[in-house]
Amino acid sequence: MMEIVKRKYVIPGDVIITGPYRLEQNVYQDGDRIISTSIGISEIYENAVRVIPLSGMYIPKTNDLIIGKVIGHSSLSWEFDINSCFIGFLPAQDVFGRDYSPTKDELKARLDKGDLVAARIANFDRSRDPLLTIQDRDLGKIESGELIKIAPSKIPRLIGKRGSMIQTIEMATKAIVTIGQNGLIVVSCEDPVGLLKAIEAVKMVDAQAHTPNLTERVKSMLGVELGENNDTINE
Amino acid sequence: MTQLMNENGIRCDGRRIDQIRNVSIKVGVLKNADGSAYIEFGKNKILAGVFGPRDVHPKHMADQDSGILRCRYHMSPFSVTERKNPAPSRREIEISKVIKEALQPAVILKDFPRTVVDVFIEILQADGGSRCAALDAASVALVDAGIPMRDIVSACAAGKVADKIVLDVNDEEDKEGQADMPVAYMPNLGKITLMQLDGILTPNEYKKCLETAIGGCKQVYEIQKKALMEKYFKNGEA
Amino acid sequence: MTSSVIIEQLKREKILELLNQGKRIDGRGLHDQRSLSIETGVIPKANGSARVKLGDAEVVTGVKIQPDKPFPDLGDKGILICTAEILPLADPKAEPGPPGEEVIELARVVDRGIRETEMIDLKQLVLIKDKSVIGIFVDSSVLNTDGNLFDACSYAAVAAILSCTVPKYEIKDDAPVLVEGVTSKPPIKTIPVSVTMARIGDHIIVDPTSDEEACMNARITITTNSDGNICALQKGGSDGFTIEQLIKCSEIALSVGTKIRKQLEQLM
Repeated sequence: MMEIVKRKYVIPGDVIITGPYRLEQNVYQDGDRIISTSIGISEIYENAVRVIPLSGMYIPKTNDLIIGKVIGHSSLSWEFDINSCFIGFLPAQDVFGRDYSPTKDELKARLDKGDLVAARIANFDRSRDPLLTIQDRDLGKIESGELIKIAPSKIPRLIGKRGSMIQTIEMATKAIVTIGQNGLIVVSCEDPVGLLKAIEAVKMVDAQAHTPNLTERVKSMLGVELGENNDTINE
Repeated sequence: MTQLMNENGIRCDGRRIDQIRNVSIKVGVLKNADGSAYIEFGKNKILAGVFGPRDVHPKHMADQDSGILRCRYHMSPFSVTERKNPAPSRREIEISKVIKEALQPAVILKDFPRTVVDVFIEILQADGGSRCAALDAASVALVDAGIPMRDIVSACAAGKVADKIVLDVNDEEDKEGQADMPVAYMPNLGKITLMQLDGILTPNEYKKCLETAIGGCKQVYEIQKKALMEKYFKNGEA
Repeated sequence: MTSSVIIEQLKREKILELLNQGKRIDGRGLHDQRSLSIETGVIPKANGSARVKLGDAEVVTGVKIQPDKPFPDLGDKGILICTAEILPLADPKAEPGPPGEEVIELARVVDRGIRETEMIDLKQLVLIKDKSVIGIFVDSSVLNTDGNLFDACSYAAVAAILSCTVPKYEIKDDAPVLVEGVTSKPPIKTIPVSVTMARIGDHIIVDPTSDEEACMNARITITTNSDGNICALQKGGSDGFTIEQLIKCSEIALSVGTKIRKQLEQLM
């Protein structure tokens, strides 16, 4: 069980702590001072120090679920804008299998420029651009819905502890929300009122992610009863 | 010629010799840029926008081992007393270079090989010390863009006016005064990353001028920090 | 800039679907402009200035006035130079360096919209005929792009000119000398107002956003003056208009232009 010893707001250059600690993300060492490289929230736990950044673009991580937009293709792969400085590549064989060599037109017929796709980062190390895969059941072309872009640092708050925040939003609005770790979200809902409410809830989390009592305010906006049971809608 | 300092040591704009002009910074003012900041430093009005890390064009400029930093300091035609041609002048190109070199020690780009971080600075109104104010805005814009940094870069100039060492030289003092020394400083690491001198100083005056400028940098740092906290930490402690 | 934006297919479909119902993605009517905010005097050191926000498109224009030599053969007129620039901080696709064809078109359309519409009476800006005249520089900088930079720059330039102050010069030894503390209003003959429209399918919409520009077939900017006449026009985009559409556009430009002119008149 991880015990967070200390949490505070930091900006680049701020000394978080001095002493022998294990350096995790977004910190560096100068002498025995451990210093933040980002604006965010520093955490010290189990003799390790890290900073959760509040700004900055998405940095791909293997196994992340992301939403990408097709921006081009060759006969070997599609290229994706994944809201990062790195371009995502989906190899043709991920879709067509190893034994089939598709033509450029066949790739285009499957996924074309402007298509939104839910994909997983199959592999990423910084020496080359991230490789994507859409082989899982919930992955592939997104056929309908509205795309919203929020800061990637807000995604954990949108998901909530064990998915609590996103479940609250989905149940209250009957919308289906596909969340990409890269800050892209697709909301679809048969009911236009539910759609607007779900979008508003997502934007609310983006604007207020690191403030206290956010869950109550979101529930209140959605008309959900506050308290233990949060799966009923207040009429 | 205006009187630059009166008998009581008050300067032509009413300031004392150790006083900087009014400074205000707003973070995240441009929608399309990845990070941005707007600064008013006295009558200077300056906008900084950051994009990146992003792909480098032309490709041959890319560094295989690290991201690179590019900087453009540009003055709007209407920013100065006599209208300026929009094309970049030699002065702007030199200032772009020293600003880039002032920010370079602060940014950490080794995790973004083959990319570039672009810093674009536009001087909308200039009034002495614009390169320092530009750096102050650019540092904040880099943080807003999420570029990893070792420290904030804070800049302020000191100079010699009416035989006295003064802090933060304005446009008139720059034109009619005896020396102008812009300085940029990383407050937590104690490193000076930009320094220039225009004018004549004795060795003692040089030391005093540098100390004075660094004192100004530290004051500006508090303003930069506050501006960032206002955007990101609206509700105080975590 | 607009040509390289790849809009999401879902968004493109949504825009078209809504247009078929007479609606737009941001809730506007087909002929509604986005909210327009105009702030003047933002650059106090300049002779005139304005900051315009048209939706998220943002422009700052500065007016500088100083003595100059007249153009050859135009010794009885002052000088007017209008430029427009998309700053690299305005858009990830904007790159520093010599302007591309889109920026040059923008600058020239803004210039013609002020010059050919005869907004300023240049004949009143002569100090010594054939030798010394007043030069007015109107420079617009785009700070943030979001479609329809033609109108955003035009409104900023017009607002900066309407609210500027012209310094007074007297002639001493055959050369102009500034008279401190005396200024006058600029000699304005008419207030040109540009209205930009896009054609998406058979629909004509006013003031396209950058998403709408990514879907459009063609675009037209029509400038009208205070007399209700059409005084400048530019068609753009890779497809065409029918004659009926062009006539409809001119009517829209007149009616929308009248509304905007009222907002601009208050700046004088």
